[in-house]
Amino acid sequence: MTLSHCVILSLILCAIGVYGVLTRRNLIGILLSVEVILNGANINFAAFAHFRAVDSVAGAIFPIFVMAVSACEMAVALAIIISMYRRKRRLDVYNLEELHG
Amino acid sequence: MNLLLPEFFLLFLTFFILSLDLWRNKSQSALSFHLSWGGLLALFVLLLALPYDQEQVYFGGYTVNGTALLFKQIFVLSALFTVLLSRPYFTPGGNRRGTLKYRSEFYCIILLCTFGMFAVVSAKDLLTVFIGMELATIPLYILSGYQKEDAFSVEASTKYIIMGSLSTGLLLFGYSFLYGCAGSLGFDAIAAVAQSSQDEPLLKLGVLFVFAAIGFKLTLFPFHMWAPDVYDGSPTPVTAFISVSSKSVAIAFLLILVYGPLAPMHGYLQPILLILAAATMTVGNLGALRQLKLRRFMAYSSIAQAGYIIMAMAGTSEAAWSSIIYYLFVYAAANYALFFIISLIGRHGNEEFKSLQGMGKQHPVLAAVLLLTLFSLGGIPPLAGFMGKFLLFAAAAEQGFYAMVVFAALNSTISLYYYLLLAKEAYIIKPFAVKNNLLQTDIVQKVSLMVLTSAMIFFGLLPVFSNAIRATVH
Repeated sequence: MTLSHCVILSLILCAIGVYGVLTRRNLIGILLSVEVILNGANINFAAFAHFRAVDSVAGAIFPIFVMAVSACEMAVALAIIISMYRRKRRLDVYNLEELHG
Repeated sequence: MNLLLPEFFLLFLTFFILSLDLWRNKSQSALSFHLSWGGLLALFVLLLALPYDQEQVYFGGYTVNGTALLFKQIFVLSALFTVLLSRPYFTPGGNRRGTLKYRSEFYCIILLCTFGMFAVVSAKDLLTVFIGMELATIPLYILSGYQKEDAFSVEASTKYIIMGSLSTGLLLFGYSFLYGCAGSLGFDAIAAVAQSSQDEPLLKLGVLFVFAAIGFKLTLFPFHMWAPDVYDGSPTPVTAFISVSSKSVAIAFLLILVYGPLAPMHGYLQPILLILAAATMTVGNLGALRQLKLRRFMAYSSIAQAGYIIMAMAGTSEAAWSSIIYYLFVYAAANYALFFIISLIGRHGNEEFKSLQGMGKQHPVLAAVLLLTLFSLGGIPPLAGFMGKFLLFAAAAEQGFYAMVVFAALNSTISLYYYLLLAKEAYIIKPFAVKNNLLQTDIVQKVSLMVLTSAMIFFGLLPVFSNAIRATVH
């Protein structure tokens, strides 16, 4: 396994995530796709830290910070989605069309 | 530790307000409001008292210098006016869309968000800037959905968090590629790589991802679609906060990046920045032309303003920093004045163009303030907005981008048209029916509007302010 394998894997994960965000209709599915993108970036950090970096500790701890921050973000996102569900009783993105113009 | 005092003070203030609220049993008293605005005012005075000619690095990754302090002034002022603006929204009958609850939590979230912005402008490595950016954005998702009973507010925050977390993911990808080619998270190491090997594909890939991500936050052209919906759905004080603070922090981040670690690539970035600027201002201006709702209109107007600001980043470091900081002050003053007027209208009526009708007759002073604000946003000479735009255009013109400056000036003319549409509603069009609800201003709104209006006038007339900013940047 070399660096380019890892980077290609993370780019594939990024592409899957972006595709998911664009095509998923369910809000939870969109959040999962975002998590896939974030984890792709984490793989990137770990791979660069392992194969290439001068300062490999920094790259190794970055994913830990990312996990903590993304946990916060997902907590907020789930809270917002729950309040959305209470109003509309559905989690379909096609319900998000009251604001337009 | 002298220069870190504002950060400590801000954190202390936040937790003081929060714990006081726990202790006092969640009363809807005005104490947290008075503490918040008083504390923010004290913080602003503290920021003014600090030395602006020193640079201190703390813990290896956190630096405080004059420009960082200037940006902190903008954030503190913006938080202060948001707190003042939000007051009627917590009292019954203060707004047509309903009363907001959880008052002290609202102020705490705003203060914590401001703390995150402090971290972004002081960052010296990618980790600090990432944490700061997240601290500054996650609270905004909560704030935009603060009106839980209102379907628009919930929808706005859902859209905001989906777009925002997607942009966080892209930003992280960008950071990981920058880290990969520099081998370290520090800005100095990235600058060294950008100096020595400009054609490194990893570096360009990283820059591409970071620009795409920051384009979301800054509402640059292909990524601006969320802005009108979020601005329209959120409660008005939050909209004002997003349009000033969130935009300023994204601009500060871009400035730090373009003139810090990526400074050796500036020649390569210039055309990209100019194309983004041209597209953004055109889209913003054309979008604003056909709006009827005031907050949606403000969203497009602020997209266009972001375009003018990005244009200045084609200039030299000094010109860009000083002109952009000055313009942000001016833009903040005009935006908050307009949002105060919008909040007055929103008390009994819909926040749309029609509600302005008859204002010139019934409330001549308010209408005059509105007119001054619109002139300042459009850039009419004696006002601060003109000076600000002049400096931005000059920064680009110094580097010889005359075609771009002409294009921006034409765009500015279009923007003048739609700003004057608002003035037309207020002064010329006669209201269809006589309105019974007169707009009542309380003392807070009067004083705030007075301060903002005098800022718009004196910032333009007296060169002291722009000279002080330029002296700090040098």
